[in-house]
Formats: sequence, C-alpha cells, structure tokens
Amino acid sequence: MSRNKQAKRPKLANEGFTGRLRFFVGRALLNIRQNAFVNIVTIGTITLAILIISLFMLVFVNLEGVANDWSKRVQVTAYFEQELAPEELATLKSRVLAIPGTDRVTYVSKEEAFKRFRERLKGQELLLEGITTDVLPSSVEISLKSASRNSDAVAVYVDRLKKVPGVTEVQHGEEWVRRYTTFMNFLRLAGLLLGSFLVLAVIFIVSNTIKLTIYSRKEELEILSLVGATRFFIKAPFLIEGILQGASGAGLALIILTGCYYAFLHNAGNFLSFNPAAAGLAFLPPVYSVGLFVSGVLLGFIGSATSLKRFVSV
Amino acid sequence: MIQLHNVFLSYQKEVTALHGINLHVPRGEFVFLTGPSGAGKSTLLRLLYAALSPTRGQVVIDGQNVTRMTRSQIPYLRRSIGVVFQDFKLLPNRTVLENVAITLEVLGWSKQDINKKVFHILKQMGLEHKINATPLRLSGGEQQRVALARALVNDPKILLADEPTGNLDEENKDLILNIFRDANIRGTTVVVATHDRRLIEHSHKRVVTLEKGKIVEGPDVTQ
Repeated sequence: MSRNKQAKRPKLANEGFTGRLRFFVGRALLNIRQNAFVNIVTIGTITLAILIISLFMLVFVNLEGVANDWSKRVQVTAYFEQELAPEELATLKSRVLAIPGTDRVTYVSKEEAFKRFRERLKGQELLLEGITTDVLPSSVEISLKSASRNSDAVAVYVDRLKKVPGVTEVQHGEEWVRRYTTFMNFLRLAGLLLGSFLVLAVIFIVSNTIKLTIYSRKEELEILSLVGATRFFIKAPFLIEGILQGASGAGLALIILTGCYYAFLHNAGNFLSFNPAAAGLAFLPPVYSVGLFVSGVLLGFIGSATSLKRFVSV
Repeated sequence: MIQLHNVFLSYQKEVTALHGINLHVPRGEFVFLTGPSGAGKSTLLRLLYAALSPTRGQVVIDGQNVTRMTRSQIPYLRRSIGVVFQDFKLLPNRTVLENVAITLEVLGWSKQDINKKVFHILKQMGLEHKINATPLRLSGGEQQRVALARALVNDPKILLADEPTGNLDEENKDLILNIFRDANIRGTTVVVATHDRRLIEHSHKRVVTLEKGKIVEGPDVTQ
C-alpha cells in the first residue's frame, strides 16, 4: 500500500498570464546572468551583424540621395517657332501638365533665353554684337517626376510632347539620360546583390552562433524535460532570451552607428576634401532604423526558435 | 505500477535492442535490473520514462498506456517519475538549491514553498550545509545525492536509476542504497539498473536479469 501521495499542492506562484510572463522573464534574466559569456558572444554577433547591414544601408541611402539629386537634371525642353500669346501659352502649359510624368513647367521667353546666353558668354560679349533677341527661340523647360526620370519613360514622354500643337522641337539630353539610367540600374542591382549576400551571411552566422549557445546548454534542456517540463515551459525563457539578445544587439548596433555617423560628420572635414555636413550626408531614415531594430529582435527570436526545435524533442 | 507486454524495440531495422519483454512491477516494489553491458537495461529504463517508444508492444505506467500518449501528455507522466543517472546530470553553473528546485518550478510552486521543501529534502540527504554550493565543489557521492534529491523532491510514484552507483566508492554506494530503501518504504516503486553484484546481494530485492534484449530468469531473491 502506498503511503506516497503527491504532496499537498501548494499555492502556485505563477498563475495567470502576467504571473507566467513574469516568471519566464525572470528566468530568462537569470539565464543571461548565469550564462554571461555565451550571451555576450550572441549579443556581440548580432550587434556586428546589424552594424554591417546598417552601414551598408547608410551608404546605399546616401548614394541614392546623390543619384536622386543628379536625376533632377533630367529635363525636357520644348521649343516653339514663334513667340506665344499669353492665352496660347496658358493652353500649352495645361496641355503639357496633362501629360503623365510632368512635374513642373517653366516658360523661357526669347528675352530670357538671350539673357542666359549672354551670361554664359561673360567676358566675350563682343561676339553678341549685332545679334537681336529674336535669334533664339522661346521654350518651356519641363522637369519630370522622379518615376519618369529614365530613358524609356523619357522617350515615351517626348513622343507625347511632340504631339502637342505649337511644339516644333524637343530636346532632352538623350545620352545623359541613358547613362544615368544605366548607372542607376547598376547601383540598384549591385545593392540588391551585395545586400542579399550580406543578409544571408548574417542570418547564417547569427543562427549558427545561437545554435551553438543553445547546444552548450542542451543538458539543461534535457533535465527540464526529464522532470516533466512542458515544451512551452522549456522554450519560453530561451525565446525571451533570444528576443532580449536581439533587441540589445540591434540597439547597440544603432547606437554605434549613430555615434560613428556624428563622429564622421564632425571630423571628416579634417581629412577629406569636402565637408560631409555641407554635402548633405544623411542618416538612415527612421523607418529604416525601426526596421533594423525589428530585424534584430526577429533574428534573436527566430534563431532561438529554430535551434530549440532541434534540441527539445518532447 | 509498471507493465510491459511483449515489448520489442529496434533502433534501426537490423539492430533489435529489446525482444519481447514481459515485465510486471507492482506498486511499491523494489526491482534490480541487471545484465551485461549492452543487454538493454538503459533502453528498458528509457521506455519507462517515455524517452523512447517501443516498436511493438505496450508499456503501461500507473494505469496509463504510454505507447498511446501524445507528445504533450508525456511531461505530465514524467512528473510522477524521478530519474537518476550515473553521471548525475546536474547543472554546473547552478547551486544545489537551484538544481533541486527545477522539479518544483516546473510544477509551478511558489518560491517560498520551493525553498522549504528543498531544504527539507536536502536535510534528509545530509546536504543542507551545501545548499548554496555549486555541484563542481561536491564529491561524487554528494552530487549523486543532489541528483536523488531532485528526483525525489516531489515524492514521485516511481524512481528509476541507471547505474546510480557506477562512479561511487563503497561507503557512498551504501548511502545511496539507503536512500532508495527509504523512498521505497515511503511507497515509491523503485527500479534500479545496475551490474553491481554487491549492491544487489546486499539489498535482498527482486532481480530481473536481461541478456541480449531478453529477460532471462534470474535468481529471485524476494524475501
């Protein structure tokens, strides 16, 4: 006959959602303290990983910014044979504005054109002697919306512009637009390729580091399952640990990145031939920073979840 | 308490570890499993705490058919089984208190109750003064007693031990055997796998001998 009965069930400490959450977070923090070294290794790896990705993004964002500035030079000019009356000009402007892709339309009268010409020939005004303003045609200069600043879109745009009555000639710096488009395509492709390789490498390194750190504690997982811990009970503290590692790693990376950015902004003038502050060097937009932080947290969480799947069989 | 009906277990298609085992261990009994290395003692124990499931046959523990259990039911079965090993399986970076407390934390006990209960069981094991030490500072015998405290702290219905005295000297073997006896007297069904003849002869308990995955009738020394 058994005298053994389950000891009177004592008051449970961790009932309800908040009680359990508090217990698991407490357990995760204790684990971090007791396994300080592996945690430092994991957080360090995540920090470096996010730092590499964020540096790459920072460079890419700035390159795109510069390229975007250049693209403002993509401009289409339409010439007219004769000077337009104000009402004719208004109709024409509205017709041009109606073409998809038009951003801004500026009218350049014969006088304005002559004035610009004279400015360009500064110092050699003698050449202009005897020439009247009539010699240059009036025109409208059209800047395009950024989506239309590539060779295909410009070609389509020019075709439509040519059909507008009164327009005799259209110029759009074809060669320049072509080169710009090629460059932008190259930049995007290179960015995508490099970025993907970086992301893959980072995921590989971080997930393996987490796998190793969990492997080093597989005895703990085994003991927990031996004494009757449910899968959730075993995994929850490790997952919280993963989230905390990811958040600290990503936070640290963003702090280091911000520090490096401002240090560069203030000191680069000493060793570079330009002043980065004046050159409009931009920091990552907030959306990117938030995205990087979330990626860090996900990296920690998913890395832990997939590794645990291997080691927690029951 | 423990019933095995015609249990077969193959690791791979070719290697059969257990051949048609039939075993019945009534509630409150103390059984030694013995036999040469590789006879299937550890495998049989692992079936009992559901770390393995048989290829054929039924394993019934405390009225529950383990072979029909889902993965999520197994932890609840294990809460009524204590297990100890030759290599103790203690966490080196946790104190004795924390190592023993794991069993009760899993059950959701409050910290206060855990501390009381762990202190009580460590006192029974003569280890209350080592409560804050880490396992690496303990002798082999002490470590095994901590492992036993972890296995027994929630008064399990069954205690399984796999070569529990393999690493210990004679004095510690006797200490451990006494703890098994005490647990058994309090009602726990005890199954100890060992090839230590002296331990078996000293204890005068039922002996089940395994050889090449089969039970061979051995001398039954039940009083």
